Amino acid sequence: MWRVALVSVVILTAWGGLVVRLGQLHFGDNSALHERIRTTRSFQQDIRVGRGRILDRNGNLLALDLVLQNVVVSPDVIATNRAAQAVSARLAAVLGRPYEQVMGRVNRPWRKYEVIERKVKDDVVEQVERLHLPGVWFEPVSTRHYPQNELACHVIGFVNFEDVGSGGIEQSWNSRLKGRAGMRVSEKDGQRHEIYTRRKLQVAPREGANVHLTLDQNVQYFTERALEAAMTNFHPEAAWAIVQEVRTGAILAMASRPAYDPNTFNTFEAQDRMNRAVSYNYEPGSAFKIGVVAAAINEGVVATNDLFDCEKGLWHYGGRPLRDYHAYDTLDVTGILRKSSNIGAAKIAVMLGEPQLYRYLKDYGLGRRTGIGVPGEEGGILNPVNRWHTIDITRIAMGHSVAVTALQMLGIMSCIGNDGFRMRPYLVQRVVDKDGNVLQETQPEALARPITERTAALMRQMLSEVTGPDGTGRKAAVPGYTVAGKTGTAEKIDANGRYIRHANISSFVGMLPVERPEVAIIVVLDNPQPIRTGGQTAAPVFREIAEPVIRYLDLGPVGESEQLYYQRVLAGEP
Amino acid sequence: MKRRVQTWWHVWLAQDGLALVMTAILLATGLAFVYSASWRGEEAGLVGAWFPRQIWWVALGGLTSMVLVAVDYRVWLRHAWWLYAASLGLLGLVLVVGTKVYGASRWLNVMGVLVQPSEFAKLALVVVLARVLGGGAIKPRSFGLMAAVLLIAALPFLLIVVEPDLGTAVVLIPTVCAMLFAASVPFRYLGGLGLLGVGGIAALLSPWGTFLLGDYQRERILTFLDPSRDPLGAGWNAIQSAIAVGSGGVWGKGFLNGTQNVLGFLPHTVAPSDFIFPVIAEEKGFVGASLLLLAFAVLLTCYLRTAWTAKDPAGSLLVMGIAGLFFSHVVVNIGMTIGLLPITGLPLPLVSSGGSFMVSTLAGFGLVQSVHVRRTRREVSNV
Repeated sequence: MWRVALVSVVILTAWGGLVVRLGQLHFGDNSALHERIRTTRSFQQDIRVGRGRILDRNGNLLALDLVLQNVVVSPDVIATNRAAQAVSARLAAVLGRPYEQVMGRVNRPWRKYEVIERKVKDDVVEQVERLHLPGVWFEPVSTRHYPQNELACHVIGFVNFEDVGSGGIEQSWNSRLKGRAGMRVSEKDGQRHEIYTRRKLQVAPREGANVHLTLDQNVQYFTERALEAAMTNFHPEAAWAIVQEVRTGAILAMASRPAYDPNTFNTFEAQDRMNRAVSYNYEPGSAFKIGVVAAAINEGVVATNDLFDCEKGLWHYGGRPLRDYHAYDTLDVTGILRKSSNIGAAKIAVMLGEPQLYRYLKDYGLGRRTGIGVPGEEGGILNPVNRWHTIDITRIAMGHSVAVTALQMLGIMSCIGNDGFRMRPYLVQRVVDKDGNVLQETQPEALARPITERTAALMRQMLSEVTGPDGTGRKAAVPGYTVAGKTGTAEKIDANGRYIRHANISSFVGMLPVERPEVAIIVVLDNPQPIRTGGQTAAPVFREIAEPVIRYLDLGPVGESEQLYYQRVLAGEP
Repeated sequence: MKRRVQTWWHVWLAQDGLALVMTAILLATGLAFVYSASWRGEEAGLVGAWFPRQIWWVALGGLTSMVLVAVDYRVWLRHAWWLYAASLGLLGLVLVVGTKVYGASRWLNVMGVLVQPSEFAKLALVVVLARVLGGGAIKPRSFGLMAAVLLIAALPFLLIVVEPDLGTAVVLIPTVCAMLFAASVPFRYLGGLGLLGVGGIAALLSPWGTFLLGDYQRERILTFLDPSRDPLGAGWNAIQSAIAVGSGGVWGKGFLNGTQNVLGFLPHTVAPSDFIFPVIAEEKGFVGASLLLLAFAVLLTCYLRTAWTAKDPAGSLLVMGIAGLFFSHVVVNIGMTIGLLPITGLPLPLVSSGGSFMVSTLAGFGLVQSVHVRRTRREVSNV
C-alpha cells in the first residue's frame, strides 16, 4: 500500500505545485507584470519630416533634400560567413578606400552595425549590390543637396550635421524650413508593428515649407561670373556684388568671393563662408558723395550748376589738409561728381551743415542693419553728430569716417533711382507650405523718402555723366543704355584702424536705365592690385554684370512719355 | 474467469467511460484553443493551417485508439521486441535521412507529412519494459533485471538525445522510474538510480557538461534559472508566457481576447503547440486553467485505476508506463509555461497542436483502454 500512497503523494505534489504557482501568477501582485506589458507594448515615436526647399524667383531649385544611402555592414554576420577579408577587399575597391581602413571596421565580429561609407549615390549602390556580399546593406539617409554648388552659396547657407541651418537663409529661416516633427504614442504587437486601434496620441507632423527667394538664378550667375573674372583680372583679396530691383527693393543677386560649396561646407574656412555683401563694413570712399550731394540739393543749399573753387588740389579745413586725386580749379556740382573732387564735396557738406547731413544719413538707413534676414549682417558705422570732430564732415563727404555695407550703399543708389523712396531690401519672396498655402509673402515696403522726386532726377542726370566719356566711371557704360553711377576708391584700414598706403577698397555703384531705373548694382573689390581705382577695376565689372542682366531682364526701351516725364521733372515742372 | 468481452463491439462499450469523457473534453478544449491561438484579430482572421490540421490529427488519433482498444494488448506484449527493434531502427533512420528543423533532425518525411519516430519509440519502450518487468522471466528484485532495464531504456534515450530532442528524452526518465516502482523494484535500487540522476544533472551543468549538452540546451537551462539573462532571446517565451498566465486574472480575458496571444507576444509559431497552456490561462483565467488541471488529474486517476485493476502485471505495468508518460508531459509542459521548469519543446497532451504526438497520446489512451476492457478482478487474474 505504501507504493500507492507514494504515487498519490508524487501526483498530488506535482499538481499542488502547479496550482500554487498558477495561483501565485493569477492572484499575486500583477502590477509588475502589467507594467512590463505596458513597457514592452507602448512606444513613442517621432515622425520625421522633410526639410523644405529653397528656390529662386522662377522656381529653380537651389536647395533640396535628397535620399542617399549609407553603406552599412553587419560584422557579426560577415564573421559567421568567414568573409571579413573578402568583403573588405571588395568594398575597399568599389568605394576607393584603403583596405586597412575598411577591414578595421569590418573585422569587429562582436558588432552588429558599422557604417563603412556615408551618403553614396545610386551608381555606387548598384556596384556594391552587384557584388552580393553577405552582411552588407544600405541605409537610406536624407541629405541636404545644393544642385548649383557654389551659386548663391552665401545667401542660401548650409545645413550642419545636426540638420540645423547654419548660415544664410538655411539658418535664418530654419524653423520654417525644417517644419515640425510629429509624434505618435501607441502600442506595438509582438512583431513590433503598430496596433492602430490602440493609438493614444498622434501629433501630426508639419512638413518643412519651401522658401522662394527673390534671387534670379540667371542674374546670380552673371554676377558671379563677373566676380570670378574680376578675381582673375584685378587680383583682389575679395570681391562682392549685389543686384537690386530698384522699384521694390528685392535682391536679384547677391554674391561674394571667395566662395564655398555648401555640399561640402566643412572643407572650407570661415572666411570663405562670409557673406561680405552684408557682413563687411567698409569706408565707401567717393561713392558716398552721391548721398551728400543729394542731401545738399534736396535742402536747396546748392544747385547742379553752382560753381565751387576746388583750390587746385589742396585745401585746409580744421587745420588739416585735404587733397584731390587730380587738381581742379573750378567745378560745378555735376563736375564735382563726374571728376570726384574731394574738396568740392567737402565744401558742399560744410555748406549743408553737420545736423542736416546727419539727418539725411540716418534717413538713408546708415548706422543700423537693414534687416534683410540673413545672419551676420552688419549695420555700418555712423557716429552720432555730437561726437563728430571738426574735420569729420569733410571726411564723411568723401566717404571716410563712415562705414557702410555694400547693401546700405546700394540702398542710397536705389533710393535715388526710385524717385526718393527708400525701399526695404528683401531676399525672401514668399514661404509656401507643402500644400501650396502661402504662409508668408513679402510686399515691397517704403521705409523713408529722404529726397524728392526732382532731387532724385537731378542726381540721376548728374550721375549719368560719371559714365560719360570724361567721367571716372566711363568703363561702366553699357551700350544702348544710359548708366548713372559713381566710383569709389577708399583707403583701406588695417586692423589697428590706420590707413594702409596703396591698399584700397574700390567700388562702383550704379543703376540703369537712367530715365526709369530698374536695377541698381554695386560691385566692391577689396584691395585690387596693381590697378587700384574703382573706375578702372569695379566699373568694368559693373558693366560685365549690367549688360547681360539688362538684356536678360528684357525691359524694353524707355518710352517717349517716360522720357518726357523725366525731362519735365528735371526742369522742375511737375 | 468471466468473459466480459463477448463480441467485437462490446469491446468499445466496455471502455472506461470517465476516461473517455475526460479525453473528449481535453480534445475539445485543445481544438478550441488551437483555434484561438491561430486567431489574429478581426482583420487577419485565422492564420496558418494549425486548426484544420488539428482536426485531421485528432481524427487519425481517434481511429488509432479505436483499433488499439479492439486489439488485445497482449499481442503487442508478445511482439514487444520487434516493436522495440523497429523503434530503434526508425530512430537510427531519422539521424541519417531525417528532416532538419531548427537544427534538429527529429522528423521523418512520410509522403509529405512529418512524423516523429521518437513518439513511437516512447510507446515501444513502455511495451518492452512492461514485458520484461511483468513477464516473470527474470527475478524482479535482481540486480540483473535492473541492469537490463537501464540498458533497454538507454538505447532509445541516447538516440533521442543526439537528435537532439532533450525534452522527449527527459520524459523517459520518470516513465521508466514509474514502471520500476510499480514493478516492486527494491527501494535501494531506486535510491541508487536517483543519486545517479542527480549526479548526472550536476555533471551536465558543470563546465564539463558542455561536451554533453549542446550550447542551446545549456543556455535554456541557464535561462530558466534566470530568464532576464536574455530577455529578448531564449528568455522571451518564458517571460511572455508568465505575463500571459498572470494577466489572465480569475476569469480570464475571454475567448479570442488574450492580448498576449492575439497580438503575438506569445510567438505565433509556438502558441498553438508548446505554449497552448498560457493561451488558455490568459483567456480563461485561473478558473479555466484549474479546471484543465482537474481534467488531467481525473484522467490520470482513471489510468491509475486501470493499472490497479489490470488482469496481469504486464498489463498493469503497460498502463503505468503510459500514465508516467502522460504525467511527465503534463507537468513538464505546464511547469515550463509558468516558470517552474526550463523551456523544453514538450507539447501538452491532447490539447497542443501536433501530429505524431497527438496520435501517440491517443494510441496510449487506446492501449490503456485495451487493458481496461480486458480487466478482471486482480485476485482472479493472479490465480
